[in-house]
Amino acid sequence: MNICGILVHAKPTSFDAVRERLLSVDGIEIHGMSDEGRVVITLEEDDEDAMSDALHKVQTLEGVISASMIYHHNEDEV
Amino acid sequence: MKQTRREFIKNNAIAATAAAAGITIPGVTIAAEGDDGIRWDKAACRYCGTGCSVLMGVKDGKVVASQGDPDAPVNRGLNCIKGYFLPKILYGKDRLTQPLLRKTNGKYDKNGQFEAVSWDEAFKTMAEKWIEARKKGPKGIGMFGSGQWTVWEGYAAQKLLKAGFRSNSLEPNARHCMASAVGAFMRGFGIDEPMGCYDDLEHADAFVLWGANMAEMHPILWSRLTDTRLTKKGCEVHVMSTYTHRSFELSDNDIIFEPQTDLAIANYIANYIIQNKAYNQDFLDKNVNFTKTPTDIGYGLRPTDPREKAAKNAGKGKLSKISFEEYAKSVEPYTLEYTAKLSKVPAKNLERLAKVYADPNKKVSSYWTMGMNQHTRGVWVNGLVYNIHLLMGKISEPGNSPFSLTGQPSACGTAREVGTFTHRLPADLVVKKDAHCKFAEKTWKIPAGTIPRANGKTDDKDQTDISGKPMGKTLIHAVAMHRALNDGKMNTFWVMCNNNLQAAANFNDESYPGWRNPDNFITVSDPYPTVSAMGADLVLPTAMWIEKEGAYGNAERRTQFWREQVAAPGDAKSDLWQVMEFSKYVKTDDVWDAALLDANPDFKGKTLYEVLYANGQVDKFPAEQVTDDRGNKYDNHESSHFGFYAQKGLFEEYRLFNSAEGIPKKGHEMAEFGAYHKARGIRWPVVDGKETLWRFREGYDPHVAKGEGVKFYGKPDGKANIITAPYEPAAEPPDDEYPLWLCTGRVLEHWHSGSMTMRVPELRRAVPDALCYMHPKDAKKLRLRDGAKVKVVSRRGEIETRVDTRGRNKPPQGLVYVPWFDASRLINKVTLDQTDPLSKETDYKKCAVKVVKA
Repeated sequence: MNICGILVHAKPTSFDAVRERLLSVDGIEIHGMSDEGRVVITLEEDDEDAMSDALHKVQTLEGVISASMIYHHNEDEV
Repeated sequence: MKQTRREFIKNNAIAATAAAAGITIPGVTIAAEGDDGIRWDKAACRYCGTGCSVLMGVKDGKVVASQGDPDAPVNRGLNCIKGYFLPKILYGKDRLTQPLLRKTNGKYDKNGQFEAVSWDEAFKTMAEKWIEARKKGPKGIGMFGSGQWTVWEGYAAQKLLKAGFRSNSLEPNARHCMASAVGAFMRGFGIDEPMGCYDDLEHADAFVLWGANMAEMHPILWSRLTDTRLTKKGCEVHVMSTYTHRSFELSDNDIIFEPQTDLAIANYIANYIIQNKAYNQDFLDKNVNFTKTPTDIGYGLRPTDPREKAAKNAGKGKLSKISFEEYAKSVEPYTLEYTAKLSKVPAKNLERLAKVYADPNKKVSSYWTMGMNQHTRGVWVNGLVYNIHLLMGKISEPGNSPFSLTGQPSACGTAREVGTFTHRLPADLVVKKDAHCKFAEKTWKIPAGTIPRANGKTDDKDQTDISGKPMGKTLIHAVAMHRALNDGKMNTFWVMCNNNLQAAANFNDESYPGWRNPDNFITVSDPYPTVSAMGADLVLPTAMWIEKEGAYGNAERRTQFWREQVAAPGDAKSDLWQVMEFSKYVKTDDVWDAALLDANPDFKGKTLYEVLYANGQVDKFPAEQVTDDRGNKYDNHESSHFGFYAQKGLFEEYRLFNSAEGIPKKGHEMAEFGAYHKARGIRWPVVDGKETLWRFREGYDPHVAKGEGVKFYGKPDGKANIITAPYEPAAEPPDDEYPLWLCTGRVLEHWHSGSMTMRVPELRRAVPDALCYMHPKDAKKLRLRDGAKVKVVSRRGEIETRVDTRGRNKPPQGLVYVPWFDASRLINKVTLDQTDPLSKETDYKKCAVKVVKA
C-alpha cells in the first residue's frame, strides 16, 4: 500500500486544462479545489516505478506551478 | 460501513491535504492519533535550510508514514517532493552497519581492502594516527564537518578540535556554501544571519531572486511566495540567473545575465537610486556608514598561480571610510547603457528592476543562495545587495528584507552559530581575539592558553605546541585543507556528515591525490558508501537524522529539536557518539605541551573525554526516560551509553556562550533545552521567553530600546556599513579553446551530492544521471542532437554525459549547466578550485569548458 496526498498549485487561468492533465495521470484522483488554484489530489500506486513516473509527471505538467507532498503512507499489506 | 485499512489511510491523506490547502471536503475528517497504531512525532526535515517540520509516523520501530506538520509555522502542513521521500533515506539497501578499515594480512594497509572491525579497533588505529600527525603541528590534523551536523554534534566537535587537540583545523562544508554570506553579515552588520524571517514572504510587494532557483531548491518557501504573488494585487516577481530555470515560470521580469555581472547590476541599481535621489536620507544619516573595500584581490588560487601573482591586493578586505559623495561617485560608471551591454540584459528589464527597489511604497524582499555565495566576489556581491536595501532603508521590517537563504538544514544552527569554522568559536566569537579565546577557556573550564589563537600568541607571547616549538599561525580553510593533504602537510582528516571528495572542486589535481597520498589517514563517517567513504581508509557507520536526538537551526534563526524516533541499523552510531567516544582514546599528554601541563597538573594524564565532556558541566544532567507531552516514550542511545543526558548537557553549556550574563556578544540568546522539545522551533534572539522576528528595529527586537528606532547593534556605533565594490572579471572566462561557461548546481529531486536521495529508488529513477544542459543553437553548432553522448572538458579534467537541450534548465548561448549529484559523473573533475579571497568559499558557478562529441 503506497498512498500520498498532494497539494497542487495551478495557474488559475489554465485551471480546467490543468484538471484534465492531472486526471490523465494513472493513480490520480481529484478531491477538491479552490478558486485560487489549489487542488487536492491523491496518488495511489503500489508499483514504485509507476509512482515515481507519476510524481515526476505531476510536477512538470503545464500550468502546474508547484506540487507539495502532504501525506505519505507506505506499508506492506497484511 | 466499516472502512478497509486502505480506505482509512486514503481518507487520512485526503484530510491532511485538504487541511493544508484550506479546503473543506464533506465527509472527510482527520483520524484521531493512535487510531491506526502509529506513533506520530515532529522532526525537522533532513534536507535543506528551509527548516520544514515533518510528522513521522512510526509503527513497530519503523517509519511507515510521514506528513507535513500542520502546526509548523514554516511549512504549514506542506512538504516538498524530497520531504515526501524522507523516510526512505533511512532504509537504503546499502546502509553501512559496521566500521570498515583497509587491511592486508590482518593489518592496516592504505592499499588494502575494507574489512569489518570493531569500534575499539577503529578508534585505536585512528588515535595512533592522529597523535602522530598532531606532532607535526596544529595543522597536521584536520576535521571536516557539516551544516548537517546537529547543534550538539558541531559543538562537541568544536571542543574536541580546539580545546582537546589544540587545533583550529576544523571546517564545515558550509565553507563551500555559506561563508560569503557570513563574511558580508560580519562586515556589514557585525553579527551573523538575516535580520528578517520567512514572514516576509507574505508581507512583500515584490520579490527579487538574485541567483537562487527557489522553485527547485526551496520549494516550500516558493509555494508561500507563489501564494502571495497570486493573491496580492500588484505583487511582482523578478528572477535573475545565468540560465532559465523553473522559477521563471512565475517571473514578471526575466533577467538572464552574463556570469559575474551581478556585481555591475547591483551597482547600477544603487546608481539609479542615487541619480533619482530616491534614497532615504534620514535612514542613511542615522544608521549607515559608507566604506570601500580593497580591489584587485585575486581568486583564492594557489599563491603560485599567475592570477594570484598579478593581483595587487590578494586576499585583502580591510574597510576604509568614505563619504556619501565618494560612494555615489564609485557607482556612477554603472549607467543603464554600460550595465546592459556588460550583462547582456535588455535595458528595459534592468530599469524595471531598479524602479522596484527605488519605489518607496513597494516592500521588496531579495533572496539569494549559491548564485551569490559561490562567487569569487561573494562577500562583495552580498554586500552590494545590502547597499541597495540600506540606501532605501528597506530592511529589518516586515516585507523589506535582504535574505540570504541556506542550503543545509543547520548551516546556520550548527556551522555558523556554534562556529565550526577554523576561525570561529560559538556565538560569533573568533580565535583571532585573545579575549574571546579566554572567555571560551573559562567557560569550558580548561587552562588559559589552551585554544590556539589565530596568530599563535596569547598575551603577546607565543603559545607552545606539543613539539615544544611555537604554535605559529593556526588557521586553515576548507580548500587549503585539501591542498595541505595533497602536499603531505596534513596527515589525518576526519570527514563527517558530508561528501567532500565528491563536493570539493578540482578533484583530479587536489582532492583525490590528497586523499590517496600514502602519508595520509582519512576517516569518513557516513550512513552510506559514498564517493568519500570509498576514498577513505577508515569508514565509520553513522546513525542518521531521527535515529538520534537532534537539533537544527534554519535560515530564519529558528532552532528546532526532535527526539530519537527509531534505532539505527547494526552497529551504526551517531556523530555525537563517535566524537565523544573517540575522545576517550586520546590523552592530554599526547597532544598538549609539557609547559601547559606542568602549569596545570590537574589535567595531566586525563583523557580528552574527561577534560571536554565529563567536566561537571556537560555531564551534569542524568540520563532520563525521554517522554513527550502525550506520554509516548523514546530511546536516547547516547544517554544510555555515556550515562548522562549528553544532548542537554552540551546544549546548556553552549548557552553559556549565547545566553549567560556577561557574555562578549549579545544578540544570540536561546531558550532552555526543554522549551525546544515543546515548540515548533523558536527564533533567536529569545529574550524573556519570546522569539524575535525582525532584528535591529524597535518594537520587534528586544535589544533595541524605546526611542532608538533602528539600531545595528552588532557594530559598536550601531550603524551598518554600505561597502562599495566594483565589477571585476571572473578568474577563468571562456576563450577560443574553452568557449563555454560551466555552471554547476542541484536539481529538485536530489539533495546535494545525492548521497541520500540517490538511495531512494523513485528519486533515482526520476533523475538518474547528471546531464549537460545546453542551448539548442550551441548544440546545433557542435552538431549534437538532444541526448547525444558528449565530453565536458576543462583545463583540469573531463566527464562524459549526455546533452539535454529541452530540459527544465535552459541555458543561454555560451553557457552549460551540469548538476553535481551524480557520483558516476564527477563534475568536480572539471571545476576550478577558485575561492572568494575574503570568505574562502569556492566558486562552482564559473569556469571555462568545451563540449565535444564522445
